[in-house]
Amino acid sequence: MTVETVLPGVRDNTKPARATGPSPWRPVVLGLLLPVSLAVGWEIAVQAGWAEGRLLPPPSRIAQTLWSLSEGGELLVHIGATLWRVAVGFLIGAVAGIAAGAAAGYSRIFRELVDPTIQGLRAIPSLAWVPLFILWLGIFEESKVALIAVGVFFPVYLGVTASVLGVDRKIVEVGRIFRLKGFALVRRILVPAILPNVVLALRTGLGLGWMFVVAAEIMGAAEGLGYLLVDGQQLGKPDQIVAAILVFAVIGKITDALIVAASTPFLRWQDSYGAGN
Amino acid sequence: MLELRHLSKVYPNGTAALQDFTLNVANGEAVAIIGGSGCGKSTLLRLIAGLEQPTKGDVLVDGERITQPHPAVGLVFQEPRLLPWLTVGDNVGFGLEGVPAAERQRRIHDALESVGLAEQAGKWPREMSGGMAQRVALARALVTGPSVLLLDEPFSALDALTRASLQDHLVRLWQDSRPTLLLVTHDIEEALVIANRVIVVRPRPGRIDAVFDVSLPHPRDRDAEDFESLKHELRGALDRSLRDQNRAAG
Repeated sequence: MTVETVLPGVRDNTKPARATGPSPWRPVVLGLLLPVSLAVGWEIAVQAGWAEGRLLPPPSRIAQTLWSLSEGGELLVHIGATLWRVAVGFLIGAVAGIAAGAAAGYSRIFRELVDPTIQGLRAIPSLAWVPLFILWLGIFEESKVALIAVGVFFPVYLGVTASVLGVDRKIVEVGRIFRLKGFALVRRILVPAILPNVVLALRTGLGLGWMFVVAAEIMGAAEGLGYLLVDGQQLGKPDQIVAAILVFAVIGKITDALIVAASTPFLRWQDSYGAGN
Repeated sequence: MLELRHLSKVYPNGTAALQDFTLNVANGEAVAIIGGSGCGKSTLLRLIAGLEQPTKGDVLVDGERITQPHPAVGLVFQEPRLLPWLTVGDNVGFGLEGVPAAERQRRIHDALESVGLAEQAGKWPREMSGGMAQRVALARALVTGPSVLLLDEPFSALDALTRASLQDHLVRLWQDSRPTLLLVTHDIEEALVIANRVIVVRPRPGRIDAVFDVSLPHPRDRDAEDFESLKHELRGALDRSLRDQNRAAG
């Protein structure tokens, strides 16, 4: 920067574009370039008759399918069913994960007693629970919600434990100097200190929740976005499958953005770490 | 009055940090503790602050035995240790829970003003330079009006210019409100600029080796002849205590 101002001639030769700075839309435009041109190219190829488009329907057909699904309110029912399962499973998994993670991070004896078991359970691929959950809880909502809750629990537990253990002892000492103990120390020092990592753990957990709702619904459901996938496969409707995938992507992104938005007021102090870099 | 009576501290791993350390500091006095690394300086402050318990002996502030952090004792750490999720103002007001909002705001403002940062209350700690952050930490310790202020090598991480200006600033603050000041440092000049009494501590385990009374009036001129000669004398005592220690160890 200093060199550039002292020697303007040099700057002119190297990076003239720097003067205005990159537009904020640049990443959006560049990021959309590839998928949009692929979609448009496929559409043109199918419309022109160069490709058949039966197994991979062009965007217009997917849009049509989405429209016809939503017209009768059918799509909303499926979205509602899936959202409900994710919401309940996420809530159970997140609350249990936060509680167990906080206890394991805070109390050494709890960690020594319980953490090895949880780590052992974590080694089991979560889908391996499905037969047992179905035997225990039946084939309806309970077993699906339980599977999602298990998927959410582990990343949240791990993230919360690690963040409690990672709290800077020096910061805790500041609290002690001001005679904070017990709950007050937790509320005024520990909770704000771990909050950024807890939000991160919740987002990871939610991502896994969406993964497991697909698994649960593929294995048997009468409604839900996962049902649309299976139904599309069995009846040979690839446009319905792709439409359901798109809806999954959009809703998954929206729920993630909701967590981010809900936590932003509490993490304002972190703001410009990202913005500055 | 701050009384340290036969303080000893042995850590569970067997390290003897302090041995039979006795010291009385009158109200409003400024005492510097100086010594090489491992002389138990930081341990001493942690005992007085109530963050740790002595193995033997007592710490008394105005006759009251200190066993845990006490409102009459403030501590400034080596690093600012500001809470990154609170604004500068809220960091300063951290110890003022339960104080009515208007009163709290007034005291935060006064404390920040006393360290020359009155305009910075709304800033975040990450926006502060090292020297500013340490001034905020000083304000945070002062805002509760402690009668004993402990400083653990508070300016050692700062550059020389910032350090000198903060030393002068600390002297002015001390002259204004006259808390009992106990400064731990390894910087001879810092000890002589601030303290009325300088205590040389011999390491492993820490115990008092020599005591210097500094009667120069504040503010002290670092380049004055009598300051230089005191500095020379103190350096000699410090070197001697380290040499004795090395000989004893060898």
